[in-house]
Amino acid sequence: MYYLGIDIGSLSCDSVLINDDETVLATSVVPTGARNKESIARATEETLRAASIEKKDVKAIVSTGYGRDRVEDRLSSVTEITCHARGIRAMLPDTRVLIDIGGQDSKSILLGEDGKVVDFAMNDKCAAGTGRFLEAMARALQVDIDEMGELDANAQGGLSISSICTVFAESEVVSLIADGTQVSEIVRGINNSIAFRTLSLVKRVAMKPDGFAIAMSGGVARNTGVVSAISAALGDINVSVPELPDTIGALGAALIAREKSA
Amino acid sequence: MMKEYFEELENGLQTAIDNNQGSIRMLYSLEIARLGKRLYSGEDKVAWCGIIAPFDLLSALDVTSCFVEFIGAMMAATNVAGDLIEETNHIGYSSDSCSYHRAVMGATMKELMPKPELLIGTTCPCSGGLAVIENLAAHFEKSFYLLQIPQDQAPKNVRYLADQMREMVSFVTKITGIPMDTEKVKFAMETSNKIREVLIEIFNLAKQVPSPVTGKDLSNFGIVMALFSGTESGLALAEAFRDELKQRSQNLTASGSNEKFRLLWIQNRIQFKNPIEKLLEDQYGAKIVIDELNDVTWGAVDPDDPYEGLASRAISIPFNGPAQNRVQHLQRLAEEYQVHGAINPCNWGCRQGTGSRGLIEASLKEIGVPVLNLEVDCIDHKKFTEGQFRTRVEAFMEMMDS
Repeated sequence: MYYLGIDIGSLSCDSVLINDDETVLATSVVPTGARNKESIARATEETLRAASIEKKDVKAIVSTGYGRDRVEDRLSSVTEITCHARGIRAMLPDTRVLIDIGGQDSKSILLGEDGKVVDFAMNDKCAAGTGRFLEAMARALQVDIDEMGELDANAQGGLSISSICTVFAESEVVSLIADGTQVSEIVRGINNSIAFRTLSLVKRVAMKPDGFAIAMSGGVARNTGVVSAISAALGDINVSVPELPDTIGALGAALIAREKSA
Repeated sequence: MMKEYFEELENGLQTAIDNNQGSIRMLYSLEIARLGKRLYSGEDKVAWCGIIAPFDLLSALDVTSCFVEFIGAMMAATNVAGDLIEETNHIGYSSDSCSYHRAVMGATMKELMPKPELLIGTTCPCSGGLAVIENLAAHFEKSFYLLQIPQDQAPKNVRYLADQMREMVSFVTKITGIPMDTEKVKFAMETSNKIREVLIEIFNLAKQVPSPVTGKDLSNFGIVMALFSGTESGLALAEAFRDELKQRSQNLTASGSNEKFRLLWIQNRIQFKNPIEKLLEDQYGAKIVIDELNDVTWGAVDPDDPYEGLASRAISIPFNGPAQNRVQHLQRLAEEYQVHGAINPCNWGCRQGTGSRGLIEASLKEIGVPVLNLEVDCIDHKKFTEGQFRTRVEAFMEMMDS
């Protein structure tokens, strides 16, 4: 039998299909857009088509993410905190602190030795330092979001960008461009700003994170510049990134679907 | 407008109770409606007060008294607080200051606060509340008396506050023109002592495993019951709660319970309509069995010479003094009520709440009680994002359930 996990985030809708052996058969990442149900249907169809599986053969679906209650034929919905923890356990089992930066949420999750959630912290009040923040900065810089990692690698460092508010930060970036500041330096400043906010989240669950295996999931983990900046902010602690980091929540949901329907 | 609102509320609740459709929570709301009606009647001598003013003593002096935050909570419950809060931007309130106080000041600017005869400020639990009293005194051009609450129970401190309370009586009687009736004061103190005994019984019932309370039953209970202290109606209300919980306790023993998790709620509840209690109970079998403010931390008051007893009562509030008082109190409550977790809403703008958050979290974790810290404006529903809130609460419950 097959099990489907669907993670409906604010920016992307991700799905993962697994079998009874917990082997990943297919994944899909589609933009969420304004219509959740269409995105859910599209992600599901793409995943099933890639695995050549029909929907009737899917034994259980578990949904997660902010739109988790919009998946109609789900077995249950589970928060992204639990799902990311379950997903990273499957991919990087030694992880004790997981950083997940999604579209509008950033979170740190402390895991016990058994992989269960022991504590978590999330961004509050605003979405500065999340995927939306990065998207707005890329737009202001007129660069593709996927280029930002490469640009960061060429920076000398030293610039800081406001991490208090996305709108203020965007305005600051525009001013820096107008002043002739190198784009790569601005990108580094943006990444440092995200790292600064992330560090405080990590410290809320693990005051002294050294000694813990740290990993990062979520779409922002694809940005090598952000990962490096977080690693540096943590005191040069290695931050592991699993394969397909944006599908870790959906993977966790699929694994929970299998467990719950056993 | 507010007078009519409270009259309609009272009539509606009374009709439901007369038709045997009432619950203990409805009796509680009925008393609140009656207090609201008196505050807005234009006939009573009204005193706006700080949270730990001696309401029973003021009641015995024929003054209808209330702490100002009550009005903030009422405005939130009726979903009008948001607009009032925005009004206060014009008079110097920062947008991240306490919404309880901003709502009261907004209501004052919109002429929704009844004109008081006098005001009684208290230096505890926070300077924000005291500033509101001072603002109201200036706005209504009325005198206020400040009770300086010492931070510990040293005998000289108790005497110091007791002397202030004696002076406060002179201040009040001079303004109202009504002399103190010692028999009335004695009766009020005797009644307060009886209420105190009943409250202890109620809280002991709530401690039972499984608990006979629902998550909503004792919401805001302790702090609001202070407003009814010294009155027969307050005693009747407390007795109704006790009797109902006793009855439920007997039924629970026979029928069992679906109680899976027991929770401690720190500080105040969210005052506007929100899904939390229902979500916790329906989805996770989790029940708020104890609120931080639902406790009796004082002894009986001597009806013949009440001032030392009233002073000691005011000093005993765990929000008074260093954060360690709150920390130790919360640890004790967590243990006595055998809770599995605690939720701290950390009301936006509450410096005291935010400042103590880390200490509280660490101390509860030390005794094995996980804490969910939320960032909620407990008064302004316009700042409430349900999806974000649900994710945090659900993740916390999933964590405890795993």
